[in-house]
Amino acid sequence: MSTIQVEVQGLSKNFFDQARGEVNAVSEVDFECRSGEIFGLLGANGAGKTTTLRMISTVLQPSNGTARVLGHDVVREPVEVRRNLGFYSASTALYPRLTARETLTLFARVNKYPAERTKSRVEEMIERFGLGEYAGARIEKLSTGMKQKVSIARTVVHDPPVLIFDEPTVGLDVLNALDLQKGIQELRDEGKTILFSTHIMSEAERLCDRIAIIDKGRIRACDGLEGLRAATSQHYLEDIFVHYVTGNDTPA
Amino acid sequence: MDWTAIRLLYLSELRAALRERSVLINGILIPLLMYPLMMWVMFSAILFVTARTESFASRVEIAGLPAEHRGLLERLEEEGRIEVTEVDAPSPRTAAAYRAGVEERLLADELDAALIFETTPDGPQGNAAVALMSNGSSDQSQTARGRLERALSTERSDWLDRIAGQHGLEGAEWQVFEVESNNLATGVEMGQFLMGMMIPLFFVIMIANGCLYPAIDSTAGERERNTWETTSTLATRRIHIVAAKYLYVATMGTVAGALNAAAMVVSFRSFLGPLLARLGDGDGSGFAFELPLRSLPILLLTAVLLGALIGAAMMILAAFARTFKEGQSMVTPLYLLVIFPVVVLNDPSLEFTPPLAAIPVVNVVLLLRQAISGNLLWLQLGITLFSNAAAIVGCLWLASRVLRVEEVATGSFEGNLFQFLRQRLKPVGGKA
Repeated sequence: MSTIQVEVQGLSKNFFDQARGEVNAVSEVDFECRSGEIFGLLGANGAGKTTTLRMISTVLQPSNGTARVLGHDVVREPVEVRRNLGFYSASTALYPRLTARETLTLFARVNKYPAERTKSRVEEMIERFGLGEYAGARIEKLSTGMKQKVSIARTVVHDPPVLIFDEPTVGLDVLNALDLQKGIQELRDEGKTILFSTHIMSEAERLCDRIAIIDKGRIRACDGLEGLRAATSQHYLEDIFVHYVTGNDTPA
Repeated sequence: MDWTAIRLLYLSELRAALRERSVLINGILIPLLMYPLMMWVMFSAILFVTARTESFASRVEIAGLPAEHRGLLERLEEEGRIEVTEVDAPSPRTAAAYRAGVEERLLADELDAALIFETTPDGPQGNAAVALMSNGSSDQSQTARGRLERALSTERSDWLDRIAGQHGLEGAEWQVFEVESNNLATGVEMGQFLMGMMIPLFFVIMIANGCLYPAIDSTAGERERNTWETTSTLATRRIHIVAAKYLYVATMGTVAGALNAAAMVVSFRSFLGPLLARLGDGDGSGFAFELPLRSLPILLLTAVLLGALIGAAMMILAAFARTFKEGQSMVTPLYLLVIFPVVVLNDPSLEFTPPLAAIPVVNVVLLLRQAISGNLLWLQLGITLFSNAAAIVGCLWLASRVLRVEEVATGSFEGNLFQFLRQRLKPVGGKA
């Protein structure tokens, strides 16, 4: 039976912007993610997806509300949260002057993967992501596709139960994007809990077990694809999304 | 404290830095090679110029040489590389025209120097007034003048001894007002004085240089490369990440300072010592560049103190920058601020008093100067340690306050440290 791995309750984030004053980037967001599922956060650019995921990954602190990862509070136990989490986003680049092997070793060790098993784990990641030939090369010398593979390996090297992928396919070509999606599905099949944000409908439709539609910092709907179809009488996710963000429904 | 994480991050920063050309150049190569290279170039250039000058034959004209001073010609011959043309003394009527002619030839580079003897009726036989004419704007003429002066001085001294002997006097008796010049400093002390003037100045500059790039690279550079957020997702407290970065910056500064000091001592011994000996015609051989053993721990201590202090201050400033360029413009004023008092206060007469020992950076320079000269003032040493430690703690406290503010940590704060202190310095809850 699946257990709740990520629990978000009333999560809000306010920023102060000199031009706009107080901005509510995320308002009272609630959702849960269970083990072995891909939970999608679907929203347009600026809807609050990244801010929500950055709060869960402890990069940002919530203004209000709580988020827990495996029962650890993101404000009170940030180190425990980070230890159980792998966070991948466009803004988490790799250290250009380290090699892929050095990067993976660093992340495994600092994220408290057992020291005596680190070497074999790193080699396992190198093998799994096809990095063998390039493992000793500096990151700055690698192609975009190879860097992306190292990034994913870096995210999972310490074997965290929860993984966050914030718009991971942005900037990738079709083949690399499909490759990445396949990798995410494999991780789900291994029992990982995956939070996945995207604004690409087909991606969410193909990958996600449940989808939360977020708009203007609020969750408008949260269900499986079939549930969303039933609730809106729409078949395509694109139409379902439009249905919710154009205000034809009250927030979930 | 999560020492494992701090160690891993610190080593990782160092490894990455040593693969960066700018860090290697500024932090290792310049401190290590600049002075030996500079002094080698200087040494070679001076040797080249000296050798070239010495190989010239000086063209000298001597007018009216009295019979009593014929020995001067032998002396000039012994000196070598002098072509002497002897002419009769001009008559009083033609003297002015002769001098004008000599001047003309000196300026036209047809002659290097001239000696004009004018015998005087008073005094013993051979008494004469001598005019030595040369062109100060010509190297060759200056060399000729030097050669003539040496020969003339010896000739004059010997002649006076001869005259005194004729009157039954010893040289010491007629030289009733004799100046005896004695330098009581040993060669080692003179060397230590010179090193004490130069090493501290460049030491501070090199430590500041060594800290500059790593401080910006590990803060603003990380933001620019989008790796700051990657680092902040690591399973350790942010303060440990900052501690690792700080240790890395301080290490680079300390290493740059220590390497520079070592390189300077070696350069002094290998290049400056022989150079001074050569230039001073033996006088410079009195310089011996030896560092007292007990100054070595002080040298190391001052390198650590300065590296820690300058590194902390630079990191606080660079923490507000979002790009490397922004970081440079924020940190450069501090760089100049650190160097300026060191340059201004590089005065040998400045005493290392307890009040001066309370001023960070300045006190380190003065302490180092004392240590190099072999003197240690314990009270000043204590005050220096305390004031620098207090300044380092102050900087680290400020850094911890600054980095607790989310906008600064994530790079979304628009402004620098001073704007931040004015607007935003307030505690923010939670431990990240």
